[in-house]
Amino acid sequence: MFVLHGFWCLRRGLCLWAEDSERPVKSPSQALRVARPHPFAAPAEVLAEIQAGKPDAAVLQLPSLRTAPLDSPELIRINLRPPARTAPALLAWAVPIVTLDAASALVVLSPRDDVRCGASLGHLGQVAAFARDLVVRGRVVPVVEQIGHGGVAYWRPVLSGRDVMVVHALIRSMPPVCRAVPGHDDPDELTRAALDALVDAAVREALPPGLQLAPLRRGRRPGVLPAVEAWLGALVGPEPRFDADPGDLGALVRALEPWDEARATQSGPARALFRLTEPGTQANEGGDTLWHLEFLLQAADDPSLMVPAAQAWDDDGSLGRWLPRPQELLLAELGRASLIYPELTPGLRQARPTGLALDAEGVHQFLTVAAPALDDAGFGVLVPSWWDRRRQLGLTVSAHTPVDGVVDRPSRFGRDQLVEFRWQLAVGDDTLTEEEIVALSATKAPLVRLRGQWVAIDPEQLRRGLAFLQREPTGAITAAELLALAAAHPDDLDTPLPVLEVQADGWLGDLLSGSPLSLSPVTVPDGFEATLRPYQQRGLSWLALLSSLGRGACLADDMGLGKTVQLLALEAVQRSDEPDAGPTLLLCPMSLVGNWQREAARFAPGLRVYAHHGPQRRRGAKLRKEIGRNDLVVTTYATATRDIDELAEHEWRRVVLDEAQAIKNALSRSAKAVGRLRAGQRVALTGTPVENRLAELWSIMNFLNPGLLGSSELFRTRYSIPVERHGLTEPAQRLRAITRPYVLRRMKTDPAIIDDLPEKIEIKQYCQLTVEQASLYQSVVDDMMDRIENTEGIERRGNVLAAMTKLKQVCNHPAQLLHDRSPVGRRSGKVIRLEEILEEILAVGDRVLCFTQFTAFAELLLPHLAARFGTDVAYLHGGTPKTRRDEMVARFQAGDGASIFLLSLKAGGTGLNLTAANHVIHLDRWWNPAVENQATDRAFRIGQTRSVQVHKFVCTGTLEERIDDLIEDKRALADLVVADGEGWLTELSTSDLRDIFALSQGAIGD
Amino acid sequence: MTSPWYPPSRPRPVDNGLKARRARGAIATTWWSQRFVEVLEDIGVGSRLQRGRRYARQGQVLSLEVDAGSVTARVQGSRARPYRVRIGISAFGKREWANLEQVLAADAWYGARLLAGEMPEDIEDVFAAGGLALFPDSTSELSMDCSCPDWEVPCKHIAAVFYLLAEAFDHDPFLILAWRGRDREVLLANLQAARSPGRPAADQADRAGPPLADCLGSYFAVQAEIPSTRPAPASPAAVLDALTPLEITVRGRPLTDLLRPAYQALGVPVATAAIAPTNRWPGDSPG
Repeated sequence: MFVLHGFWCLRRGLCLWAEDSERPVKSPSQALRVARPHPFAAPAEVLAEIQAGKPDAAVLQLPSLRTAPLDSPELIRINLRPPARTAPALLAWAVPIVTLDAASALVVLSPRDDVRCGASLGHLGQVAAFARDLVVRGRVVPVVEQIGHGGVAYWRPVLSGRDVMVVHALIRSMPPVCRAVPGHDDPDELTRAALDALVDAAVREALPPGLQLAPLRRGRRPGVLPAVEAWLGALVGPEPRFDADPGDLGALVRALEPWDEARATQSGPARALFRLTEPGTQANEGGDTLWHLEFLLQAADDPSLMVPAAQAWDDDGSLGRWLPRPQELLLAELGRASLIYPELTPGLRQARPTGLALDAEGVHQFLTVAAPALDDAGFGVLVPSWWDRRRQLGLTVSAHTPVDGVVDRPSRFGRDQLVEFRWQLAVGDDTLTEEEIVALSATKAPLVRLRGQWVAIDPEQLRRGLAFLQREPTGAITAAELLALAAAHPDDLDTPLPVLEVQADGWLGDLLSGSPLSLSPVTVPDGFEATLRPYQQRGLSWLALLSSLGRGACLADDMGLGKTVQLLALEAVQRSDEPDAGPTLLLCPMSLVGNWQREAARFAPGLRVYAHHGPQRRRGAKLRKEIGRNDLVVTTYATATRDIDELAEHEWRRVVLDEAQAIKNALSRSAKAVGRLRAGQRVALTGTPVENRLAELWSIMNFLNPGLLGSSELFRTRYSIPVERHGLTEPAQRLRAITRPYVLRRMKTDPAIIDDLPEKIEIKQYCQLTVEQASLYQSVVDDMMDRIENTEGIERRGNVLAAMTKLKQVCNHPAQLLHDRSPVGRRSGKVIRLEEILEEILAVGDRVLCFTQFTAFAELLLPHLAARFGTDVAYLHGGTPKTRRDEMVARFQAGDGASIFLLSLKAGGTGLNLTAANHVIHLDRWWNPAVENQATDRAFRIGQTRSVQVHKFVCTGTLEERIDDLIEDKRALADLVVADGEGWLTELSTSDLRDIFALSQGAIGD
Repeated sequence: MTSPWYPPSRPRPVDNGLKARRARGAIATTWWSQRFVEVLEDIGVGSRLQRGRRYARQGQVLSLEVDAGSVTARVQGSRARPYRVRIGISAFGKREWANLEQVLAADAWYGARLLAGEMPEDIEDVFAAGGLALFPDSTSELSMDCSCPDWEVPCKHIAAVFYLLAEAFDHDPFLILAWRGRDREVLLANLQAARSPGRPAADQADRAGPPLADCLGSYFAVQAEIPSTRPAPASPAAVLDALTPLEITVRGRPLTDLLRPAYQALGVPVATAAIAPTNRWPGDSPG
């Protein structure tokens, strides 16, 4: 495997190099005086395949033993290095590198899953992300430099306030390997150089192509443009250099100096911080409570370092260690602040000002006007915590649900049924009583204590709110309208005050609170072959309720809780209630089509299912006919995207997206395509917690309930940026409240669920072969059947076993059979499905054991998974020494280190306690279920507190499926023949073998 | 018509002279620098002042130095050798300054405003209380001379220096105090001493990272956490709006107007980045 590392070079820009675990560890050279070639750095031609760029070389100082550099922690070796006996020291090594200019660097420095990246690249990625952030916020200024006879136009960052601290934090966090080039080890210089270059590149990337800043010129263009015009052109074009008359350019440089200064003066070692504290419980004598605005200095590189003004005035020199001339800095900051906040002046008119007393009026003015202005100007502002999550005056809606809880007959509460409601005044979560309203109206102060807490009340708002309540105290709207009201953003409503909460009793209340506990159960029709667990029953009721309201639903239960069976139950109920309902269209990844077909046949045999995919799928009239005579049409995202024009013609009863994260990118072709489908209801199934990934949430919600969250632009400004970039909780809470009625997510750990769950859940993961796998499979069958027919005795037996091994290898991955070290890519349906499952498992922080019989397959997966998920992968095989094995197990059990544990079935089958995992994956099948069960028991043994999910991978239509069938049959009879392994198979007749090996229909995906 | 008695008055061009930044309108923009310019303009020698302003804008002034009691400058006129200009004012004595410093130290407002680049509005009161005046009332309180052959005072060279001096005051109000006898460093040191006597100054902290040899244990790892960034200002053009307006124009349109479309484009995310998933990097803390 490769681990990609990076560093910034003042001259060459971004430099990348890589470690390769397949190369020899030790350097053949013993020379210590010169930089020896790094023994396991990827050579230039290999590096060029990982990342295109300009090839070059660099010398790096790395922690090393005498004969070899140490591995980076991201590098995983199949054969471990022996533990070091000497202490490491810094030695110089020559490594091949590729270099990239800033524009390419900006693109390369985004997370990638094709190769594992070291923390050094992560750090540079942070610098790039910060550069982009500065640019989006417009924190840049154009500058000009005179170099030789020409000029260069740059965009430079303008750093103030918290941005200065981010830069300091970036400097401090730089991994030492980023400054390993001898003579270039100043983290400050390197970080700033990278930031400058990346900001410039990010501006140019963000500007629309063809933008012209200079006004159009009438008449002919002169030979040499005036310097300012040439500069404006170079600021937006790809080439920052420009030609200009030297005198003209010199004048431009001088004229722009004031801007240069504006940029330079904004960062200092510390800034003023204004801290507002509430009056103590002891009111002063007049009964008039005064608040205190305290002056402090806050270190730019360590925001937790705050020094009260008094300490600066009394400084005995100890501040000087981090702050030169603290008094002068404090004075300058206070002077600058007084320009923004003139009310500060009275506090400064003394020899050693330390703070300012404010009355309620002054506090209110400070909080509402001055504090944001000071913050914008780069000052620190600390206000009491209640202010940030202050409880504002607003309205609440209390609705009464007419028909309570009867979900059996959806028609009884259609989407048009009216719901009565009442408006009330509230502060935060507290609905105001009559007495409180009277008391609030009487007070003049903008800040009052209400139920022991400070609240800011605008008298004008209060007046408008009361007038509104008098005008229309109650109302009646439809359930759908009430849900829409609950989902509305305050800016989009025309009420005089924001609507803080929408409450309801009954099933509407259940929906709004996101806990459908009191919904009455829906009766599952006869012929539905599964018994729903209680939580599945609740899920079905919830789906049916939203279906009757015509609203989209996202069922986001944890993997293994049975989303499939709940959806099939909904379909069964639907078909029995409305026999004439149109068909439902279900989209899923290719790897799951077979799964849906099998599950539908097993649980809802009454449902007529048509799988629409593959090159032989129906088109035109034939497709329409097929749709007309089925209840459930299953197709893949890729096929649906291709056939969208035909599929969009139909009015579907329901459109269901399984693994709905497939449309997480709203701009992707499949997301746009599914948006065109017309349906009575839309349902999304997903096992990943969408509520934590906002872009994904928007895309899925926009499919389910178009318009609910506004346009993607609006969503970005209202939620994504405040929540993801600035960590604000208030918009996150509002978003949760808005989406709550439409998302049902139950976790395996929920107390309400856990008792319903069996201790062990077995899931067959049916996957399909890729075209490459299928043709390889067929040629192996043809070749091996020839040999088996023409041999006898021991030789024939050997051929049968060889055939089985080869076919299993093909099912795993073509590269495993070919032994050609070719890339993993997307060549195996099984690996693709494995990645999907691992993504869900890792997203919820679970741990997983993956068993395979083949070390070659494990060693193929190891680097691939490490790169794909950017994480460590533990690997235990027959050759792992005992000490190392114990250490791996201990780390896995302790919860640190890898979340994915690859084990060879033979080495990992016995004697290990791995109860930290609650997922077990059997990547390939063993004829003997006892061996599989033994392996499964690694996770499922004493100490396991959660239910364990066992995923068994089966490639449909192949030898694997037939093995699976046999095992199931045998188990039903008794564990007779298979007990001794695979030997019995060699006794089968040639025609039986042909049946077992044959590739049947449905084996190949698209 | 030029008189044959006078040398041609076209000045020699200068490459790197000091230029007034404001290309049109009044040169002095703050109330405290205007107080000086008014003194000059009160004399009412219109045409020479105009030429002086043009000199200031063309960059004919080669150097300008402010010391206690005098401003000295070299101005490139029509002759090869630049003229020497001196503008004198009476500097206050040690004792007078000691008294002033006591008053200034007792009220942090003065130091704060000065350090923020502003002359405190009521600073004249401080001087008046000691029987002193910070600003001159008329040119009679100034001594002005120039080595040019023009016998009229102030000549255009003096006027040019005056304008540039006013602009320097705009930029740094401490210069006025320096001219009156107290330069910035001394004044600040004395004020600090008056506030808290006997405190030593200290060196700036060392900024280079720790030696690489001390980092072998975590050589490949991130060394500290990165805090989240601050909320975005309402407009991506906020920086542009806060910049000092410059006199640079292209075909009559000011530079800030020309740059505005670029700033506005920055706030609009690139289409593909509009709702890109959250970044995930090795070393990021989960969640």
